[in-house]
Amino acid sequence: MARLDISLILYNIYVMEKIGYIDTPPNLDAVFAALADPTRRAILTRLAAGQASVNEIAEPFAISQPAVSRHLKVLERAGLIERGIDEQRRPATLKAEPMALAVDWLTQFREFWGKSFDQLDDLLLTLKQSNEQEPDNE
Amino acid sequence: MSDLPEYILDRVFDAPRDMVWRAWTDPALLARWYGPNVETIIHKFDLKPGGVWLNEMKWGDKSNCSKMTFQEVVAPEKLVWHHTMTDTDWNIAANPMMPDWPRILLTTVTFEENGATTNVRLTQIPFEATAAEIACFKEAMAGMDKGWGSGYAILDEMLRELRGSGNGK
Repeated sequence: MARLDISLILYNIYVMEKIGYIDTPPNLDAVFAALADPTRRAILTRLAAGQASVNEIAEPFAISQPAVSRHLKVLERAGLIERGIDEQRRPATLKAEPMALAVDWLTQFREFWGKSFDQLDDLLLTLKQSNEQEPDNE
Repeated sequence: MSDLPEYILDRVFDAPRDMVWRAWTDPALLARWYGPNVETIIHKFDLKPGGVWLNEMKWGDKSNCSKMTFQEVVAPEKLVWHHTMTDTDWNIAANPMMPDWPRILLTTVTFEENGATTNVRLTQIPFEATAAEIACFKEAMAGMDKGWGSGYAILDEMLRELRGSGNGK
């Protein structure tokens, strides 16, 4: 993935809203809570390979089908997956945007100071150089 | 000892402490590095306990404002401020995407001499936070250390898929 920066991320959210690609920005609190569980992350990994029914999702896990259903409900409420209308199968499909925004948010927070500090490194180098050669110009 | 979640960032800067301190406390210099890849405008910078730093980050026709209220100023060793996100009138405002992000982050920066270099430690912890704010920050902090690797893997997969299908429906 390309490098992310704060301006690009905020701009993307803005544009996605503007063009109607996302109606309202997803509630990232719900997305974070949903992603905080390792089973739910594993379910998302499974769904990244394609849509699947509850039975198909439950198969590789040592948990019951109702437990998987509960996890799916949390993921659905966070907007991370969509469920089909087929009453029997209700296949779950991954939705990319809320997760992209949540990961972007975290990246943005983590990189805010990191990238600012990189810029501070550059500034300090400039200050040191201008100190060395007498500060007679700006 | 508290169980508040804490964000810690350590960094060694290759410059003497006085110079590093100046880069943090002279608004003309601060604006040159604070904020990644954005134009930073410092509207007010009153370096004393109770004084405020009003900061705007601009990109294109959008901007993001924050207000920092200094709690401690100990030159050239320590800066403490309350970090808040605001609207363009400098009123504290929650992000609609992140209603439970802590309203106030208690931010502490220490500067320690280390030969010709300077050790800087930045910490941020939720201040006077609700249980929901603490939980939100905790999840976000925990997410930084673990689990997000797989988040990126899934995301890459999805982006490939979206590109393949010409942006979904």
